[in-house]
Amino acid sequence: MNNLDDLKSLWHTAKTDSLPTAKEMMQLIRKFRNQKLRSKWLVIISSLVLGGLITGVMFYVHFKLFTTYVGSGLMAFSSLVLAMDKMMSIKRFYQLDDHSNIDFLAFIEQTRKNQVYYYTQTMVTVVFLCSVGLLLYVYELTYQHPLWCIGAYSFIAVYYAILWFVIRPRAFRRDAEKLDATRRRIESILNQLK
Amino acid sequence: MTTFEEIYKCYAPQIYRVCFGYTNDADQAKDLVQDTFIAVWKGLPGFRNESQMGTWIFRIATNHCLRAIEVAKRMPAAELPFNLAEAREESPEEKLSILYRCIAGLEETERIIISLELEGLPQAEIAVVVGLSNGNVRVKIHRIKEKLAQKLKAYEQFR
Repeated sequence: MNNLDDLKSLWHTAKTDSLPTAKEMMQLIRKFRNQKLRSKWLVIISSLVLGGLITGVMFYVHFKLFTTYVGSGLMAFSSLVLAMDKMMSIKRFYQLDDHSNIDFLAFIEQTRKNQVYYYTQTMVTVVFLCSVGLLLYVYELTYQHPLWCIGAYSFIAVYYAILWFVIRPRAFRRDAEKLDATRRRIESILNQLK
Repeated sequence: MTTFEEIYKCYAPQIYRVCFGYTNDADQAKDLVQDTFIAVWKGLPGFRNESQMGTWIFRIATNHCLRAIEVAKRMPAAELPFNLAEAREESPEEKLSILYRCIAGLEETERIIISLELEGLPQAEIAVVVGLSNGNVRVKIHRIKEKLAQKLKAYEQFR
């Protein structure tokens, strides 16, 4: 069984009749084609709708205080930043396949770096802009009622504290492990090709 | 213009064998075939014939193999010797299973290169798929064949 021609003959005896037919594959494709990108599209659409809504309210409702306009603007801007980041990520995803293995590994490594950048820069910027925006936006609604004001700001503070000090570090730690595993694997594969 | 169905009929068995060679697992190989043809279906309108259709599809398939980190974790490692007690003539299916196990003992890129070689792709085309020079691929194929021969020999010694 050591002869290469024997191995080739043997290789081609692998049964492939359990593969789906072309018709079944078309059905599978229709079912799964956008599944991988669905969460990204969901974030983009939600962000754009939210940003549009905030902007719409800003133009149609006449607020008394300047802080409300600044708050609305910051929240709308943070939604736009998030949507643009996800759109760029999707654009990269569509370019993913037309590469040799070596170029593809470099592409995956760049994607990994982008993900790290997203966690350490983009996400921080978006949450910061959105938090400041919300704090400013709520001021007009509550400044004439001290109790409401304290209640609303306490609620927002607790919400952001949980988001920032509990949820984000956990998600980051979990994804950091995955990203690190990806880095080690890419390094190992690239070493094989040297 | 070739239709998707024609492309699928022509390449699906080849892609399946290469993915099976990489994963040593029929179900994972089928998943990779599915992922590959979803990508082919998406990319077909933009395919500009800059490379051969086959090269393009094999590139997509092997990239999906390399990307499948979860697959790598679950991949059955090649353990030699196996079935020590059974010293008998193997059926073609058993021989094929031994070949897959021996391939599974190779490194990721070696598995891809030898699977493409066994599939009968010209070395120049393998070089385009992997992204190495022709000379480099020729040397690698030679080394991988030696490694594979050693593994097969080790198996035969233990029979």
